[in-house]
Amino acid sequence: MSALGELWLVSLVLSAVAVLIMMGLVIARWIGVRRGRSREAERRRLIPLLLGIERSGGDYGQVEKAADLLADLATELIEMVRGEDKEAFIESATRLGVPERLQHRLDRGSPRVRLAAAEALGFFEDEKSIARLRGALDDPNPDVRLAAAISLASAGHAPPAVELVEKLGIGTRENSALVVGLFRDIAVKHPDEIRGLIESEQVNGRVKAAAIEALSASGDYSLVPLVANLVLAADPDAEELPRYLRALGDFGHPAAARAVHHALGSKLWWVRSAAAEAAGRIGLNDVAERLRTLLSDPVWWVRFRAAEALIRLGDEGRELLIATAESGSEPACSAARLTLAERGLV
Amino acid sequence: MNDWQSLAIDAASVVAWIVIVTGLAQTAFYVVQLVYAGIALAVRPPVARASLLWRRYASHTPPIAVLAPAYNEEVTIVESVTSLLALHYPDFEVIVINDGSKDGTLRQMIDSFGLAQVERFYDLSVQHNPIRGLYASPRIPRLLVVDKENGGKSDALNAGINVARSPLFCSIDADSLLESDALLRAVRPFVEEPTLTIAVGGTIRIANGSTIAAGRVLEVKLPRNFLALVQIVEYLRAFLMARLALSRMQVLTVISGAFGLFRRQLVVEVGGYSHGTVGEDMELVVKLHRHMRDRKLPYRVDFIPEPVCWTEAPDTWTILGRQRARWQRGALETFFKHRDMLFNPRYGRIGFVGFGQVLIVDVVGPIVEVLGYFLMPLLWAVGLLAVDYLFAFLAITFTFGIFVSVASLILEEVELRRFGSAHDLVVLMLISIVENFGYRQITNFWRLRGFWEFLRKKQGWGQMTRKGFKTS
Repeated sequence: MSALGELWLVSLVLSAVAVLIMMGLVIARWIGVRRGRSREAERRRLIPLLLGIERSGGDYGQVEKAADLLADLATELIEMVRGEDKEAFIESATRLGVPERLQHRLDRGSPRVRLAAAEALGFFEDEKSIARLRGALDDPNPDVRLAAAISLASAGHAPPAVELVEKLGIGTRENSALVVGLFRDIAVKHPDEIRGLIESEQVNGRVKAAAIEALSASGDYSLVPLVANLVLAADPDAEELPRYLRALGDFGHPAAARAVHHALGSKLWWVRSAAAEAAGRIGLNDVAERLRTLLSDPVWWVRFRAAEALIRLGDEGRELLIATAESGSEPACSAARLTLAERGLV
Repeated sequence: MNDWQSLAIDAASVVAWIVIVTGLAQTAFYVVQLVYAGIALAVRPPVARASLLWRRYASHTPPIAVLAPAYNEEVTIVESVTSLLALHYPDFEVIVINDGSKDGTLRQMIDSFGLAQVERFYDLSVQHNPIRGLYASPRIPRLLVVDKENGGKSDALNAGINVARSPLFCSIDADSLLESDALLRAVRPFVEEPTLTIAVGGTIRIANGSTIAAGRVLEVKLPRNFLALVQIVEYLRAFLMARLALSRMQVLTVISGAFGLFRRQLVVEVGGYSHGTVGEDMELVVKLHRHMRDRKLPYRVDFIPEPVCWTEAPDTWTILGRQRARWQRGALETFFKHRDMLFNPRYGRIGFVGFGQVLIVDVVGPIVEVLGYFLMPLLWAVGLLAVDYLFAFLAITFTFGIFVSVASLILEEVELRRFGSAHDLVVLMLISIVENFGYRQITNFWRLRGFWEFLRKKQGWGQMTRKGFKTS
């Protein structure tokens, strides 16, 4: 047979195989739908067990057979509620062997299954679950590693932050915004560990920025000089500068004044914009004139943040905006006039 | 056999080989896409419930501005906007851009949402026709309506980009129905790779036949109309296979205008959506690739396989034909505008794989295939081609087509299972086979019409009749 003839044959075989597989899937779906009905009945049977209504009346032999369904159902219910109800679900699920099933999945499932198991195991604080989650920090899949770390941290059992940075490659291989939440959870019990990351010279700017953001809502003003020094010492092109400045804005402490003033003169617009925003949030009236000059900045975002900051500065800022709006020189005039109009101040 | 006969046979063989090799190249690329899509689906994170998504991402998500351009949408606009306002996302605003509608679109919104004219300080970086007024209400702080002079969809989106104040914007069609957790799902790449991700597309599904109420798809059902059914299979191929695979290869050049999430500042830097093209969605993504590659900056353009948006598919031959011709014109406009990127080492895999794919599938493919429909049977009938050539042509146009369509359906069923019943699967399997006999050929003629319109430099969208979603 010629190559062209073989092409025809190959195409026939491939399409026939595809159709046969699809027919198999149709049959599997048909069976699955029938099983789905019994699965639904099984869910209805298991819910009272998880609710604790049938504490002793359940057939535990049947429960073991439905271990996967029970694990899914328990996770679903635990995620839906808070407080005492959540505790009650966790207790019932533990009694019914859900943590063991999730541990099994974490050891043997596909990355997707392991990830879901790592997230769900965080609800259970028994030693075995914690140990398995710690083991999952070495999982080949980065999503599973991060999920395990988040679960451990939310349960208050995370390993030292420095160790996590190294294991997860935070700031290098792992740059998820979820890292901020991870650090925030660790900081609940061990704020010094996160503070240590900010002070450490062994970690890069991305790790420091995430650590600063995690602590920025803590109200620990002793961090302000530390972050301000980072702003002053940073490379002018450092990508973390806006994050540092936003954190200074979150703290709202005037000890950041020098750093903010320094950043207002940056050659990068996104740094000037973040500095203007921070100035307004901190209420740095002594940079009001500097903010006024930024109303003429070539970049709209800087003009917008400067105008917003002037509004936040109260009477002094508003008067400067009114004066600029009346001055007639663009683009500052429009920035001031429209900002005042938007706030109903004219 | 004389020299002329011999020459004619040689010439016929050359033509046949061109047709066959082009078809094979397309098929080979589809098979590679199937493999990549399979891998992407296998390693994707679990499809989380909305509550879990919220718990996981809510405190880490950047604000998003949803941009909805509207032109003569008075019948559906209030329901569409109400549905957008009910999206589940921590921090978003809905910016509806009334693109100089001639009907009561603006009045409907003003009356229904109690809007009044307001002032707002907005950017002027991106070019668009003048804004006539901005409308908002303190009762609905998430909603802002921009009333502007007519300039087309890209012009309206540019106005929305200027007015938006969020780091991300989501461009949609005013008649798109978004899943309530669409933004939460689509934002995932921006949360997981915040410094790299610049744009994300999501799967668009066809709502014809489904039960819809209050701007939401309540029950997914197959349509009864053949054209709508066949487009379901086409969308499976386009989204589940092609776009997912191209995203996995990091060579995605199209994010559908019906739903796309973009980093606003970068879009401003490339000048926003281009005017004078009907392929503005594709062109924007290509401009972003070019921008990042020119600056040698690392970046990602991603695609998520979960459905985020529902759309009304045309169910008449005339409207579908116009739509396909317009899509073809859009692809060609973008390809030829950025032709210097093709096989240009400066643009790496975008130039070789991304543009290479457009060249084979959108530029050369339709012409050569239509040529084949005429020439191959003719040359065989007059005895200039052996029957093997004819069978090879049948393989690349029919049987491989069946394989690719059915394989896409297999991927869908194995990994996503979004169709309701075994009956639906049987119907779609049959459609996957039948569409190769007649429908495929007709779409190729529509694409040739698009080619002709491109050559004649035709502008505009043509008439698109919207019937609106049938609500329960």
